[in-house]
Amino acid sequence: MKRFLSAAFLLAFTLSVLLPLLWALMSSVKPGSEILGQPWALPSVLRFDNYGRAWGEAGIGRAFLNSLMVTVGTLIVLLPIGAMAAYVLAKYAFRGAKALLATFLGGMMFPHFLVIVPLFLLMRDLRMLDTVYGLIIVYIAYSLSFTVFVLVGFFVNLPDELAEAAMLDGCGHATTFWKVMLPLARPGLIVVGIFDAIGLWNEYGLALVLLPSEANQTLPVGIARLTMTQQYQSDWGALFAGLVIVMLPVLVVYSFFREKIHETMLAGAVKG
Amino acid sequence: MRGRGRTAFIISFLAPAVLFYAAFVLWPLVQAFQFSTFRWRGLSARMTPVGGDNYRQLWEDQAFATALKNNLLLLAEAGVVIIALALMVAHVVRGQGPVQKFLRSIYLFPQVVSMVVVAVMWQFIFNPQGLFNAGLRALGLDALTRTWLGESAWALPSVAVAFVWYAVGFYIMLFAAGLEGIPQEVNEAAELDGSKGWHRFCHITWHLLWSVKRVAVTYLVINVMNTFALVYLMTRGGPDRRSEVMLTYLYEQAFVNSNFGYATALAVGNFVVVMGLSLLILFLFRRNPVEARA
Repeated sequence: MKRFLSAAFLLAFTLSVLLPLLWALMSSVKPGSEILGQPWALPSVLRFDNYGRAWGEAGIGRAFLNSLMVTVGTLIVLLPIGAMAAYVLAKYAFRGAKALLATFLGGMMFPHFLVIVPLFLLMRDLRMLDTVYGLIIVYIAYSLSFTVFVLVGFFVNLPDELAEAAMLDGCGHATTFWKVMLPLARPGLIVVGIFDAIGLWNEYGLALVLLPSEANQTLPVGIARLTMTQQYQSDWGALFAGLVIVMLPVLVVYSFFREKIHETMLAGAVKG
Repeated sequence: MRGRGRTAFIISFLAPAVLFYAAFVLWPLVQAFQFSTFRWRGLSARMTPVGGDNYRQLWEDQAFATALKNNLLLLAEAGVVIIALALMVAHVVRGQGPVQKFLRSIYLFPQVVSMVVVAVMWQFIFNPQGLFNAGLRALGLDALTRTWLGESAWALPSVAVAFVWYAVGFYIMLFAAGLEGIPQEVNEAAELDGSKGWHRFCHITWHLLWSVKRVAVTYLVINVMNTFALVYLMTRGGPDRRSEVMLTYLYEQAFVNSNFGYATALAVGNFVVVMGLSLLILFLFRRNPVEARA
């Protein structure tokens, strides 16, 4: 009886986690009028053209490319400079090293909204408001704390002897880093890269404030705008297709790397 | 690490990260505290230093008080449900079996999709013609159907439901790891003493989860106090500010009313609240009850 109860409870819970996601998936191929008309019913016809309209007319395709550009553009700069800083902070003792690391880690403590007004005005003064590269620069800066935090953890655990041996062979500090230490930290780079990528792909607050015009919007902002505009056109089919377009890449990436992601999520948490 | 050119290497490797961080994180952070002491409306360059006026206004601002109260309500409502639910589910799916691991990873799905997706989805679920009301009607519970997001009594609890759905997976993982960390000997000893079920949970397990609970509560406070997208997209803080939270109010002041000085004071106010609550948690969880007894 007890086993049966806990199995029933687990089943009900699992279904309620999955139900909204599956409902969104089903609604994305429904005729728009059935999404609110008969929310529980299966689609009377499969309307895959919802995806076409979402991608084209609704502007989700453009937003997708913007998001891709922003995410990839951020990672290309963030990972090397984050790794460089983390390596020095992990392996080189110098005066102020601890304070500098603490300053980087402190960035994880406060919400973006604490600085949103000064940041908005700074970007305006630098004429980088409403530019994709402006958002990339901001994303790099705000992702550094977490990136440095994780990568310092990886570099600290690499044995010093490896770097020392390379330097005895005549490598300079920089060559030792690029040729020996960075390749060894690849698992760390992958994990932190995936984490950063998911966070950037999903980010809403900064993108909302820093990219006002429609042509530059990223996916989350585009989807949010679509919910407003569709109140008048009520093409709910395209909206739900858009929702699936936003979440599918993330869920696929997550499913591939879920073990690593779980470890990293818990790493900071359970040490207590 | 030693060797020639050490100093030049350190500086050149730190420089890019430090420059980005100083210019776009630290500098705005310093400015935030500075701006909050100016009256500054609109996009004009006119800033009037007003000292603590913004903070006095904040202290008397009914809308901010409502937003703070709603944040705390959301924390209480969602927090209790999340912790209770996460503990129950974690109890069933703890361990390293493939099924358990697989289920725990499914529970994180809501956490990895964008908050925007979560908000839009739940907005439709709670739509008067949405999934939830349709489900109630199908069960013959027509009397319970509501305009969930449009009624002042139900808007905030509806947001809380969406928040629970979004957040609970992380806490399941956290508690599962915590339960896993309880030494086997403790469970065996409890078994011998005839302690099981509720009794064992209340007298043993609950106390041993001390450090995990502390992490969970801290994360909850930070997450709930910094809620923006969920409320902004589901209800816009309405009806009549009944689901307004601090950050949606801040957004309105900054980017609708262009009240930059006051909005920054709100941001600092929000930060102070979060820090205050975090310190309170540190104080409440200052001693590990298990270690104290040993």
